[in-house]
Amino acid sequence: MIFRRKLLAVFALTICVSVAAVAGMVLALTRRAFETNEGQRTAALLAQFQREFSRQGDDAVRRIQAIAASEPVMHMAAAMEHSTGDTAASFDLARLMADNYQLDFLEFVDGHGTIISSAQWPAKFGYPENAFESVSALSEQGPFLKQEELQDSTALGLFAVRAARAGEHAIYVIGGRRLDKNFLSALDLPADMRALLYQNRGDHFASDLLLDPAAGNSPDPSHPAGKLAPLVEAVQHYNQETAQVVRWSPDRADDEMFHAIPLRGTGKERPLLGILLIGQSRRSYAELKSRIGASALLVGGGGIVLAILFSSWAAARVTRPVEQLAHAAQDVTAGNWNARVEVQGDDEVSQLAQAFNRMTAELLTQKERLVQAERVAAWRELARRLAHELKNPLFPLQLTVENLVRAREQSPQQFDEVFRESSRTLLAEISNLKAIIGRFSEFSKMPHPQLQPVQVNELLRGVAQLFQAQLQAPGRDPIICKLELDDGLGPIAADPDLLHRAISNLVLNAMDAMPKGGTLTLSSRRADGHAVIAVADTGSGLSREECERIFTPYYTSKQHGTGLGLAIVQSVVSDHGGRISVQSEAGAGTTFVIELPSTPAFEQAADRKP
Amino acid sequence: MKRFDWRCLAVSSVLLAGLARAETRPQYGGTLHVAVCAAPGSLDPADSGPDSFARRSITLLMFETLVTMDDGGRVHPALAVSWQASAGSQRWQLRLRRGVKFHDGTALTAEAVAASLRAANPSWTVTAEGDSVVIERDPADPETLAELTLPRNAIALRNAAGKPMGTGPFHLVDWQPGKKLTLAAEEGYWRGRPFLDGVEIELGRNYREQMMALDVGKNDLVEVAPEQAHRTWPEGRWLANSAPVELLALVFARDAQSPEDKLLREALALSVERGSIRSVLLQGAGQPAGGILPNWISGYGFIFPTNADLPRARHEREQVRKVVTWTLGYDGNDRVARFLAERISLNAKDAGLSLQPTAAATADLRLMRIPLASSDPWVALAGVQAAAGVSQGRNRGTTVEDLYAAEQAALAAQRIIPLFHLPVYEAAGPALRNWTLRPDGTWDLADAWLGSGKP
Repeated sequence: MIFRRKLLAVFALTICVSVAAVAGMVLALTRRAFETNEGQRTAALLAQFQREFSRQGDDAVRRIQAIAASEPVMHMAAAMEHSTGDTAASFDLARLMADNYQLDFLEFVDGHGTIISSAQWPAKFGYPENAFESVSALSEQGPFLKQEELQDSTALGLFAVRAARAGEHAIYVIGGRRLDKNFLSALDLPADMRALLYQNRGDHFASDLLLDPAAGNSPDPSHPAGKLAPLVEAVQHYNQETAQVVRWSPDRADDEMFHAIPLRGTGKERPLLGILLIGQSRRSYAELKSRIGASALLVGGGGIVLAILFSSWAAARVTRPVEQLAHAAQDVTAGNWNARVEVQGDDEVSQLAQAFNRMTAELLTQKERLVQAERVAAWRELARRLAHELKNPLFPLQLTVENLVRAREQSPQQFDEVFRESSRTLLAEISNLKAIIGRFSEFSKMPHPQLQPVQVNELLRGVAQLFQAQLQAPGRDPIICKLELDDGLGPIAADPDLLHRAISNLVLNAMDAMPKGGTLTLSSRRADGHAVIAVADTGSGLSREECERIFTPYYTSKQHGTGLGLAIVQSVVSDHGGRISVQSEAGAGTTFVIELPSTPAFEQAADRKP
Repeated sequence: MKRFDWRCLAVSSVLLAGLARAETRPQYGGTLHVAVCAAPGSLDPADSGPDSFARRSITLLMFETLVTMDDGGRVHPALAVSWQASAGSQRWQLRLRRGVKFHDGTALTAEAVAASLRAANPSWTVTAEGDSVVIERDPADPETLAELTLPRNAIALRNAAGKPMGTGPFHLVDWQPGKKLTLAAEEGYWRGRPFLDGVEIELGRNYREQMMALDVGKNDLVEVAPEQAHRTWPEGRWLANSAPVELLALVFARDAQSPEDKLLREALALSVERGSIRSVLLQGAGQPAGGILPNWISGYGFIFPTNADLPRARHEREQVRKVVTWTLGYDGNDRVARFLAERISLNAKDAGLSLQPTAAATADLRLMRIPLASSDPWVALAGVQAAAGVSQGRNRGTTVEDLYAAEQAALAAQRIIPLFHLPVYEAAGPALRNWTLRPDGTWDLADAWLGSGKP
């Protein structure tokens, strides 16, 4: 299952990364293509604006030309030529002509630069036109920008100037259109484009100098003019055309790309009079980008979902044989030697399955052979042990019977005594034979453990107390018994009699291992949910081979042992769901360690019982 | 008191023009169509609404005063046939003309006259004594007779609803406030029925509308803006003008608050280029004014300087450390007034002052057209002072020196900066005959009649 997840993760990750990379690449390429297109469109729009601006300028020039050639102006010029210079009658002419020709600014200025008539500031008659010198030089040229002083403000205008002559003296007609909200509104611009004008009257940005036709008379709170300050100040600082995206709100659809075009006046210095701000909405761009992003997200998401599904399917398909192999291996581990794996196809996994099947078949065969061999060996060992065990009593029986026969034949007077002697011997040996047979019988009839709460420490203390007398028996070297018990060890589920018998067997073995005395240590502790019982002696220890075979039934290293003691111990421990191990070092003693589950293990024990 | 001779010239020119047109005998009938700028809110002579020459003319069509004043400043009988002053001009007794009736037929009585005068002059003590009325003034006022010539002192009989009724040559037929006033000839007028059957007066028409109406023959008599008086008039239409009876002036809303304020006002008065303003903005109409009263009334008006003195204005201005910006109010409906205000602001700027023209109702100073109340200098001076909100002295003198001192005192208060004295211009169509424009700017339609020349 883990392998499948790993495989799924690898597949999914690979596909996701691929999809994301493709989506990102497509998005980037699309964005780049759109930006290129947008840039071309913006350039086209700017060019359109420039043409529109120029058209307005040309229109102003035409109107000024028409005014300069009109009869009233020529009449005024003629009057100026022939009279003493009384211009009072022409005071209102500029206003009338400006109305007729739809101009915002119109002034008639005499050759000395004195205003004869002014439409934008009628009261300024007789005053000098401040920019006359620079403006009069443009009398035959195209439109130009000029800052016009008004009664209570100044205004930026697109001007033209023409001279009207009726003799030697000229009257200069200076007029044009005001660059104001009306002018900006009159520009024929695309729907998503707008023009704003910043009137440059200081070094720093001032909101009230910004003319926004869409803002009306009150500031538009959604489009604070201050947002344009960096752009305006950049133009003021670098005095060149600049472009910048202005973000009006967190919504990128509200963004506008502004191109700031410096508007310069006439003269040598060509002062920066204003800044034309051409704003182009990026809403279409943002919406397209959003749509592309959403599409990419949708495609990517769908791809990822499909990738996960496909990966899941592919991983399942790939890992199913492996899982079957794993399950089969687990079955084999659990003892099911008949486990087989379904073989499909002819790939490496199928070959592996075939090999597994062959292996398990071979193992089964080998096992059966081994079992058979072990069974034969066990019978042989049993026969050998029986022969050995039975031979010892039989030999005295034979000698006793032969003594009886010989005593009957050779000394009948002593026969009775010999008979009594021999009878006792025969009975003793027969008893011995019964005992041997009884032990074998007992081993074959190991009882099923009756589990109940058992205090291990109490059990160990009872064993120690039981063997205390034998450990200190006269005639042998004393053995010191030590108890190292964990007081925190609680009760476990066990059969107290069987467990007592098993511990007793180990104590007996230990006593046998310490003919010259020593120390017997009984200890208990808790470890990893198990109750651990250790029986250690300081005897001569066991060899490695002895350690490996010591729990084999009928194996013994002692002179007169049956080889069933430790087999019984192992059987008891196994029936309790525990395990036993031996640690020994030659000359340093031997320690038997029993690990019993501290939780009730009845079920497990029951399951293991045939 | 010395009068300026050109007034006689103007009047005589009008009379000559009228005589020249009197090519046929007067004939009764017809309705005279007149248009005026003013739109009075009340027809009551005693109403204290805005004064205008048109209103005065309308008043004198329906109402009459006790006495009248001729071109030479002499007082003549009207509703009063004689008068007598006593107690040092403190008590005036005027005997009334017999047989005069109001338009509803009610006889003119001393009680009605006394009630009318009391309504127009709450500070006067007016009583009826037989067929006379007695006016007691405190303090004594030798110009009482001149004041009685004012249209606001025309005699009106007010009915229970307060509606006034007069004894004039025309009586009221219909009045649509702000739009139209229709008058009909009073058959029983004590001086004889007018030739005209009626007069229809369109109210609240600007100069441009009036001129167009005259050009198309819709109106017979219209007002003409001073700056338009120079235009070339088509055949059959002619222009008449009064004496300079209107003062165009800058009037401060309050007295000077400090010596610096006075210096700045002085600088402003010195900065105004009256000559160029007159020649261009007024197209030569009117006379530059340095004093309140025109020369033809006072006889000494020429001694007040009218030329701009920019160096002196700057000098006055430079004595003041901090200059405030004054708002200069003007009549937003008057285009020339706006130009005047802007020009004056320009002139002031040259002197280092700061004026902000505005059409708003409130301003630090206003450009005002003040009709002179009378050809009597004292009455005229008092009228200007009242219109400008300047306090007046209680005692009036009798000599020209007293008058000059009073005018100097009024100017010294620096509430008024006189700019121009303007005449009243009226243009008449070809059908209107034998009408005159009085020197005080009011019409005289008593003998006017409509000829066949009306298109």
